[in-house]
Amino acid sequence: MSTADILLWVALPYATIATFVVGTIWRYRYDKFGWTTRSSQLYERRLIRIASPLFHIGILAVLVGHVVGLVIPESWTEALGVSESLYHAMAVALGLFAGAATLVGIVLLIYRRRTVGPVFAATTRNDKTMYVFLGAAIALGLLTTLVGAGVLGEGHNYREDVSVWFRSILLFQPQPELMAEAPLSFRVHAVAGMLVFVIWPFTRLVHAFSAPLGYLFRPYVVYRDRGPHDPGSRAARPGWERIGQ
Amino acid sequence: MPSSATDEFLVRAGRFLARGEVSEDLRTVTKHGGRDADAFYRDRWSHDKVVRSTHGVNCTGSCSWKVYVKDGIITWETQQTDYPTVGPDSPEYEPRGCPRGAAFSWYTYSPTRVRYPYVRGVLLDAYRAAKAANGGDPVQAWRAVTGDPETRRRYHRARGKGGLVRASWAETIELISAAHVATIDTYGPDRVFGFSPIPAMSMASHASGARFISLLGGSMLSFYDWYCDLPVASPQVFGDQTDVPESADWWNASYLIMWGANVPQTRTPDAHFMAEARYRGQKVVTVSPDYADNTKFADEWLSPHPGTDGALAMAMGHVVLKEFFVERQVPRFVEYVKRYSDLPFLVTLREKDGAYVPDKFVTAADLGDVGEHAAFKTVLVDAATGRPHVPNGSMGFRYGAEGEGRWNLDLEGVDPALSLHGAVGVATAEVLLPRFDTGQESGEGGGVHRRGVPAAELATTAGPRLVTTVFDLMLAQYGVRREGLPGEWPTGYDDPTPYTPAWQEGITGVPAAMAERIGREFAQNAEDSGGRSMIILGAGTNHWFHSDIIYRTFLVLTTLCATQGVNGGGWAHYVGQEKCRPVTGWAQVAFGLDWSRPPRQMIGTAFWYVNTDQWRYDAMGADQLASPLGEGRFAGRAMMDTLAQSARSGWMPSFPSLNRNPLTIAEEARAAGMEPAAYVAEQLRSGALRFAVEDPDAPENWPRVLTLWRANLLGSSSKGNEYFLKHLLGTDHAVRAEETPPESRPQEVTWRDEAPAGKLDLLVSIDFRMTSSGLFGDVLLPAATWYEKHDLSSTDMHPYVHAFTPAIDPPWETRSDWDIFQALGRGVSELAKGVLDTRTDIVTVPLQHDTPDELAVPGGVVRDWMRGEVDLVPGVTAPKFVAVDRDYTAIGARMSALGPLVEQLGTLTKGVQMDPTPEVAVLARANGVIPDGPAAGRPALVTDVHACETILALSGTTNGRIAVDGFRDLERRTGRRLADLAEDEEGKRIRFVDTQARPVPVITSPEWSGSEHGGRRYTAFAINVERLKPWHTLTGRQHCFLDHDWMAEVGEQLPTFRPPLNMHRIFGDQSTGVGKEVTVRYLTPHSKWSIHSEYQDNLFMLSLSRGGPEIWMSREDAETIGVRDNEWIEAYNRNGVVVARAVVSHRMPEGTVYMYHAKDRVVDVPRTETSGLRGGIHNSLTRLMIKPTHVIGGYAQLSFAFNYLGPTGNQRDEVTVIRRRSQEVEY
Repeated sequence: MSTADILLWVALPYATIATFVVGTIWRYRYDKFGWTTRSSQLYERRLIRIASPLFHIGILAVLVGHVVGLVIPESWTEALGVSESLYHAMAVALGLFAGAATLVGIVLLIYRRRTVGPVFAATTRNDKTMYVFLGAAIALGLLTTLVGAGVLGEGHNYREDVSVWFRSILLFQPQPELMAEAPLSFRVHAVAGMLVFVIWPFTRLVHAFSAPLGYLFRPYVVYRDRGPHDPGSRAARPGWERIGQ
Repeated sequence: MPSSATDEFLVRAGRFLARGEVSEDLRTVTKHGGRDADAFYRDRWSHDKVVRSTHGVNCTGSCSWKVYVKDGIITWETQQTDYPTVGPDSPEYEPRGCPRGAAFSWYTYSPTRVRYPYVRGVLLDAYRAAKAANGGDPVQAWRAVTGDPETRRRYHRARGKGGLVRASWAETIELISAAHVATIDTYGPDRVFGFSPIPAMSMASHASGARFISLLGGSMLSFYDWYCDLPVASPQVFGDQTDVPESADWWNASYLIMWGANVPQTRTPDAHFMAEARYRGQKVVTVSPDYADNTKFADEWLSPHPGTDGALAMAMGHVVLKEFFVERQVPRFVEYVKRYSDLPFLVTLREKDGAYVPDKFVTAADLGDVGEHAAFKTVLVDAATGRPHVPNGSMGFRYGAEGEGRWNLDLEGVDPALSLHGAVGVATAEVLLPRFDTGQESGEGGGVHRRGVPAAELATTAGPRLVTTVFDLMLAQYGVRREGLPGEWPTGYDDPTPYTPAWQEGITGVPAAMAERIGREFAQNAEDSGGRSMIILGAGTNHWFHSDIIYRTFLVLTTLCATQGVNGGGWAHYVGQEKCRPVTGWAQVAFGLDWSRPPRQMIGTAFWYVNTDQWRYDAMGADQLASPLGEGRFAGRAMMDTLAQSARSGWMPSFPSLNRNPLTIAEEARAAGMEPAAYVAEQLRSGALRFAVEDPDAPENWPRVLTLWRANLLGSSSKGNEYFLKHLLGTDHAVRAEETPPESRPQEVTWRDEAPAGKLDLLVSIDFRMTSSGLFGDVLLPAATWYEKHDLSSTDMHPYVHAFTPAIDPPWETRSDWDIFQALGRGVSELAKGVLDTRTDIVTVPLQHDTPDELAVPGGVVRDWMRGEVDLVPGVTAPKFVAVDRDYTAIGARMSALGPLVEQLGTLTKGVQMDPTPEVAVLARANGVIPDGPAAGRPALVTDVHACETILALSGTTNGRIAVDGFRDLERRTGRRLADLAEDEEGKRIRFVDTQARPVPVITSPEWSGSEHGGRRYTAFAINVERLKPWHTLTGRQHCFLDHDWMAEVGEQLPTFRPPLNMHRIFGDQSTGVGKEVTVRYLTPHSKWSIHSEYQDNLFMLSLSRGGPEIWMSREDAETIGVRDNEWIEAYNRNGVVVARAVVSHRMPEGTVYMYHAKDRVVDVPRTETSGLRGGIHNSLTRLMIKPTHVIGGYAQLSFAFNYLGPTGNQRDEVTVIRRRSQEVEY
């Protein structure tokens, strides 16, 4: 096991987690007005109506797939009587479906972003960087799905090395040697995935934390009373302090 | 209820997930607290105070605004809505306020804000060094700096090239004061100048500096004529300068022509009156070469070629005269013109070339009357007796004891004969009339055609003379045929000879049938509605060289159709915000009339023409303008010669006036033991003393110190901008013109082979934002914005006054104009001790309008003392020379106190005398009195509030007692009842706090010709028409005929059509032969995104428009030079060069381009390929052309008054060459 393996499979994961958590808190604290999807729906509606749901539903399914695949030990599913081959068949079927939806979605979104003038004009460098990282992670993820299923190459049961490594990180007992021996495509995807989380707090991706799920469970009229009210007593807010006091 | 079972399930489930009580119907949830989420929004839109202010640019909107302040910071502005009511059956003033005004608060904290005093570094170093070398004496230091040619040259060359460094207020005030003291001592007070336009837009701020300049003996430069916003036709026809209806009176019109005026774009807050009137059945016609914004409101759009509007109006006049005066006589029209116009008055005919030409008005003197001012009493024919009759109301009754009570339009039962046609014993005469639609190949002079008039023989003191009426001449001029008259006449509307509808079609491109129909409709509507036909005219028709004659053709229509003085009718000209309603009080404060009279006031255009040496490049001799029927009065003479004659004849002011320091001349006169006037006259006769304008390039005749405030001369109004840079400032320029060849040079003006480069010793610019004037200035002082000072605003479009109020104190080191000039006054007083002390100044005063001076040139017969045609008599054939004592050590003290002449001499506005003695006592209590010093015991004028209070107290429009006092004076002269127009408001006094509370309606006053009495809408000349008060003209009526010698010389005795100047012929081909070029008419109209309530550099407005310099051009012209929309182009001619982006639009007619006005050098101005210099403002392509008839003076309504009459700074006749340039631009 080399130094590079230690850096990649021990240092990088913890650095990723730290950046993701601290970065998100920092962003929430100092850039609330920038905490937004920066929606471009105003500029173009036809393509986004197809591409955006395709991408978002796809990516949510991908998320579920990752949770199941990485967090749940193989022994647990076996205990439930799901055989290795059945599990993989299901994973590949659903994974390919979700991955394809995500990929088609993001390709459409990027195509739209580049070709529709007003949308392109509203695209920042930050956005472009984010698309590179996100797109790479998705494409590589789809590749690993195919590799893992044996569609490409020999097939590989990632639940015996990648998933175990993933949990070892969360349990603070890192086992980098597991990743060192995993197929190249898995290693590259894992790094790409971590990088997405590194840039996450600093991009539009933060809007994922503000998905308005509460709307589903809430009456549409919300009243808030003022609570105990003492005029003029409100504390100054950051950025709005009175001058000359 | 929730719309489905799923929703219901989810919401019911949600009750367990979140706090708060969900209502039974599942529609609402009530939570406790959590309001902080919107605190940011509440903070953003909360404020600590709201202050009333407005925008002090040349905006006729006069919108009052709420300015919001939070934590001491101006945050935004919104529209006020508390205007006085317009009255029943009419829309109100609000909503009003445009996006430009709403964007103004950006300036307060913008990067363009000038925050500290700045001085050009080279100059400041030199000054400090010189001061140290001169024992700390600032005046000596200034003499040393400007006395060393090398130093002077060095800081001149640095102008416009950066290097401004911060300096303290104390040092800048000292430097400017020293410059003034040294200049006055060395060269004279008339070498000191101030320029600040349009007092109405912020009266106290204007008065602040004007008071300083005037008390020094310096000269204020006029702006209205200089901006070419002054319609010279207004003094010519009405003897009054731009008195027009308020915008709410548009509602009363039932036929509205917008002629070269783009109301929605440039009069945005008032355009609603026009839009609303359409719902009342008003017909709207626009006349504009391009598809202007207002055209979309119009029922009809007439699109004449640029500058040919006069031809269209002549054809309309032809239709009106033919159908409403000859074929059928409309009683209302005939009655009107008999009483209110010069049409029935008799004019002599003079033999020429076997026929006759119109000559002069017949006067009582011609009939043998040797009484008082008989040469100014014009004569008409009593229709009942057929005998000549001298009616009341002409200028001969205006001055002197005999005329008292008779200066009125009461015909006393006499029915004037409009025409001599068909009367017993009347013969006919063939008259020669000039025409300018042909014969333009070799000059502007045109040809001659023959028409006929009925003519009768009249026995005069000079023997029998043939006479006819102005009406008969008008029919001959317009080509309206009557039986039995000799000459060539059009056979019908379809005969393309002057001035039929078919004739105009060939010139304007407007279909003949359309011109005929619109002319007929205009008059028919006036007949049916009692005069409610209106023409709104604008800069599109007013900025031409020949705009005076263009306007006269329009005014013929409004006068013939009996619309002037009628609500809903008449002319409506709003170019430039000229109506300072409290004019009397403002004039007292601004010109320091309370301490010394007369002030020096200079005609702006002539000043710049002379002192930027544009005269050296003027290839158009005065004789080129002469009519083929002229007497050769301009033969071989340049425009400059006519200016010199005007100056020495006392017609127009001319400063610097003489070629020696007037302080020195006064000392010489004292030494010689002579009266100053007699001494100057003698010196002039002997040739020992000359007028400065006769040798303007001599160093002793240069203007030396110029202060600009509220003005952006070099980024906005400087027509011939590059000549300013070259000769006035002495820095880099892009002039490519050749100087006039020797044979075309002036005869009576000294030509120096070496033209001076850099005349001004000091250019001071006082502004709150960085402008081109600041970039070229030597000293830049930071001013307060309109949200940081007290002031007053009024306009011609609204009969109310309202206030500026500081929302915050001037931030950084900025100060209000008032405070800056008070400091300068103190600075000069300090430095004057031991240098100037008390001196006698000799002021060269021109013959003034609305004073007996206008009786100086009887019959308008020109006699020049310099040519020995007449003796030099100051005040008659030459200017007056008036000695004025000036205590220079008391300038500061006098500036900040109201002087004693106010009550000792009273106040005088347009010939109306008012006595404000009681007001002075009131002001002493309101403002307090000065405790000690040279002004001890006088009412204070220390602050801008004091100034506003004084302006309001001394003016009739804002003080009922003054209005009544003035009307009583006018009653004595006219013998007519007038004071009742203000008597019911005699006790009303508008105080400054009233104007801060809300806009306050003004009081009907003799200062103006209209009436607001009883809440009616203001329309000009209502008092003249309803109360029979004469116009301030020769006949006392509206003039169609002008009999001054020079008017005859240029063939403009009667309204006519003159095409735009042929610049190609005058100045030659401008193309360079490089690349594909197109030569086009170059127009500079007002922009949608800058004019009028703020400027082009405002970030919001730059975002709304394309931003930066741009030239609008047609698709055809763009195709010719292969340029596509938004590409960089270069426009150039002999005057300079401009780089801009092309806006290619189908809206533009082929052959014409627009570059919107006041494109300054501060936003996106790259280097040009043509000159290699940073390139050009809109006025880099223009230059000044003087029309000699604009400098006539001393004769009735053709006499000088400040911003009343003067040569216009016209620029519309210019052409430019355009080519596509490299798309790679460098900055």
